[in-house]
Amino acid sequence: MKPRIELKIPSQLVFLGVPDAVLMELAGDLPFERREIDELSTSVIEACTNAMEHGNGLREDQEIEVHFVFGEAEIEVTVFDHGPGFDYGVWKPPADLMQERGRGILIMREFTDELEFARAPDGRFCARLRKRFHPGA
Amino acid sequence: MKIKERKRDGVAILELSGKIMGGEDAGMFDGTLKTLIHEGYRNVVLNLERVSWINSSGLGILISGYSTMKNNGGDLKLLRVPSRIESIFMVSKLHTVFASFDDEEAAVRSFS
Repeated sequence: MKPRIELKIPSQLVFLGVPDAVLMELAGDLPFERREIDELSTSVIEACTNAMEHGNGLREDQEIEVHFVFGEAEIEVTVFDHGPGFDYGVWKPPADLMQERGRGILIMREFTDELEFARAPDGRFCARLRKRFHPGA
Repeated sequence: MKIKERKRDGVAILELSGKIMGGEDAGMFDGTLKTLIHEGYRNVVLNLERVSWINSSGLGILISGYSTMKNNGGDLKLLRVPSRIESIFMVSKLHTVFASFDDEEAAVRSFS
């Protein structure tokens, strides 16, 4: 069974650093380059930002959940919220370079090997991110 | 996010630290720039050396600040961008918008 960590986090932006702290604490013991950990953690922060803001509407009585699953050569992170979700199939990158919002998904796409959005069996919406270890990358 | 402010040769240098993530950060940063403009400072250097991470909302704050300074006849440039943050600027192509320096003196001189 793969090692896993599960976090329940209040939908308050001040807690966005908690998943980052988990990955940074483990960074030295994982078979990843520091750059790869940074990219994964940045992506997880984006997923959590979306889950808190758009999923749970920053309602303090609603938590997001973050599940880390540590494989031998990859890490999978799933972020759950209670929102309506969105159709990833119609997503488009920001058309205007000076647009102030809308880069979260772009960052997640660029910094992970796999990204998917789905409805979990329990009805929650989730973002699933997977980052693989690339030796010598 | 915390902001420490000082002046050098007519340029405002803002040393940011912590996390840039939206919410209250946006109002604080905007208020700081508006005060500087009111005081007559048009050119700003943002030292990001002590910023641990930034999210897409934080990028929006910096874009807004850049636009504010440009709209007031000035400019906003970056100093000592950590590699973790630099890679975000690269993938979002914002490195083509923000001038970036490793040396404070060079950043300040670039306005003249």
